[in-house]
Amino acid sequence: MNLQVLSSQFWSLCLQGVALGFIYVLISLGYTMVYGVLRLINFANSEVFMVGTFATVVAQVGILQNQTNSQPLHGFRLLYTLAFSLGFSMLICGVLGVLVELVAYRRLRALGTNRLASLISAIAVSIVLLETTRIVTFSRPQTSPRLLDKWSFGEIAGANFRIDTVAVIVSGIVIFFALDRFVTKSRLGKAIRAVSMSEENSKLMGVNLNRVVSLTFFIGGLTTGAAAFFYTTVYETTQFNVGFNLGLAAFTAAVLGGIGNLRGAFYGGLFLGVLEQFASAILGSQWKSVTVFLVLVLVLLLKPNGIFGEAVQQTRT
Amino acid sequence: MNKKIQRSLAVVSAAALVLGVSAVSSAMAAPKTVYLAFQAPLTGPNALTGQDELTGAKFALSEYNATNPSIKVELVLADDQGLAEVAAVVAPGIASNKKIIGLIGPAFSGATQASLPAYKAGGLALISMSATRVSLTDRKAAVNGFPIFKRVVANDQYQGPALARYATKGVTAPSVYLVDDKTAYGKGLADYTSPSLKGKIAGTDSVPENTSDYTSVVAKVKASGANVVIYCGYAPDAAKFVKALRDGGYKGIFASGDGTLKATFPNNAGNTAAEGARLTAADVPFEDVATAAQMVAYTKLTGIKIPGTYVTSTYNATNIFLTCIKQGKTSRAGIQNCITSGSFKGVAGDTIKFDRYGDIVGGAAVGAFTIKDGKITYVAVA
Repeated sequence: MNLQVLSSQFWSLCLQGVALGFIYVLISLGYTMVYGVLRLINFANSEVFMVGTFATVVAQVGILQNQTNSQPLHGFRLLYTLAFSLGFSMLICGVLGVLVELVAYRRLRALGTNRLASLISAIAVSIVLLETTRIVTFSRPQTSPRLLDKWSFGEIAGANFRIDTVAVIVSGIVIFFALDRFVTKSRLGKAIRAVSMSEENSKLMGVNLNRVVSLTFFIGGLTTGAAAFFYTTVYETTQFNVGFNLGLAAFTAAVLGGIGNLRGAFYGGLFLGVLEQFASAILGSQWKSVTVFLVLVLVLLLKPNGIFGEAVQQTRT
Repeated sequence: MNKKIQRSLAVVSAAALVLGVSAVSSAMAAPKTVYLAFQAPLTGPNALTGQDELTGAKFALSEYNATNPSIKVELVLADDQGLAEVAAVVAPGIASNKKIIGLIGPAFSGATQASLPAYKAGGLALISMSATRVSLTDRKAAVNGFPIFKRVVANDQYQGPALARYATKGVTAPSVYLVDDKTAYGKGLADYTSPSLKGKIAGTDSVPENTSDYTSVVAKVKASGANVVIYCGYAPDAAKFVKALRDGGYKGIFASGDGTLKATFPNNAGNTAAEGARLTAADVPFEDVATAAQMVAYTKLTGIKIPGTYVTSTYNATNIFLTCIKQGKTSRAGIQNCITSGSFKGVAGDTIKFDRYGDIVGGAAVGAFTIKDGKITYVAVA
């Protein structure tokens, strides 16, 4: 137990926890969107995230020709580079999401097979992505250049408001609310929700099921791709196995908040980020996972559908 | 499937070795030739380590042969790929070949442990250049190498105190934050480091390998007021950690062990984060201890300008065998006695004498390194 850390670092831990939490939120949206529509966990999402981190590096180093040891960029060039790599990562992940659905889900769904079959095929796709990346990168970690100079807006109560921390939080909020609005207000969003409530009935109402499912995977890929970009910008390094821990955390966040429901992913992600920071700081990093999963079990014992599971039964994505 | 193929290949090559060697020796009888085995990973993912080490053995041998000795010495290569299961198959073949009177290696700790039963039964003396696992020379360990195993490399029991010494060198009132990565290596090294830091430890943490977010550890380091951070783990994680520390405003010393002594560490940490980091390893670069003439000869023989890791220790291990052979010891028992009771000279002019369980009396040298302009630079013996 290390309580002295709280006296000087309390707000710093909160801020870092929220920033980490927003990365979890963005990945868990990928899980939760798919679950909302298909009632299936997309186990390939963690590897979609991993591919996104590499896509960001490829965009910055390969396409825009920044050297790994280059100096930080400024002005228009910086904005352009960041916007391009964000867009590139989101696009790659979105398309990859659609492909994963085509390969691992669509045919099995058409044949009306057991749900477990698509679960296994999703795991298979995830292993293929993981191992291919491992072989292509020789298991070596890849670094992304520090293009964004990490200056700070200033410190408040010991919490350092660094540009990347702030950017993750602000963008996380923007992306989340844009998605929330899309799902609740737009025509396509309504179609997604209709399929989520009843596949059969929405088919009768003329909703093109395959298109809606593809769209869901695409949107899930987009948010996961955004998460991959922010992850790479903050931590500046990636590795073939980066998806496992992050994916597990995001999945946990989704279950914690109530899977299949956007707001659940939001609060679940933030809660998990902050919980992890405090558990590592007070009990020691070796107890982080133990604490997180104990809390998860406790939450599920008390509320089997997650913290927000029941309240939003009717407004599922 | 793959493992099976590897294993059967290893059996075949071991058998070929045995047959090949005996055929050669019966052909030429008059000038006496003895054989030393060299066991290390020569193929597979860890081949670089073994191939680097092999240059040290070849160089020592070329120096010996240049003196026109009455007893000729040749190397027999045994490739264990650094894997325990391959070593377990290769070792019996080497042990049963009575022409082989000593073995340089094995290079890896796991492979050594798996080879020990065969070599103990055959009474073959081993001198390892890079097997650092503490239990191999631990009197109380269930499986140790007594009496045949010796090593010319510092085990983690020696690296730990050296790391503590080097990390806090020149720091007034050192206050150390000790972090490990929960692996057998990292936790082990941390356990051997902490006793030397008695009363100076501001805090400890165990961060699992492959963690991406180190901010909570940075927060703790800052709250503790530590001015030295020692990380026991591998290069990729050390790079993430040192970066998070520097970004978080930590200005003190960052130190780490041989797991971090890789070019990936400064490369992944970026332009400035790793600068000045203090690293130790149970290896002293050969070019820093060999004479200029030796270096010229080494480059001529191997084509390598800058020797890789563990060349110094392999060179020393080979020379110990050669010294004994020069004294006329050409049987396994004779070599074993000579190594156990003798006193030898290392390339740096150091004295090598083994204690009862196979470590160098007083501990083998631990090298101190730093990162300068993004490159690993040798400083001194820590």
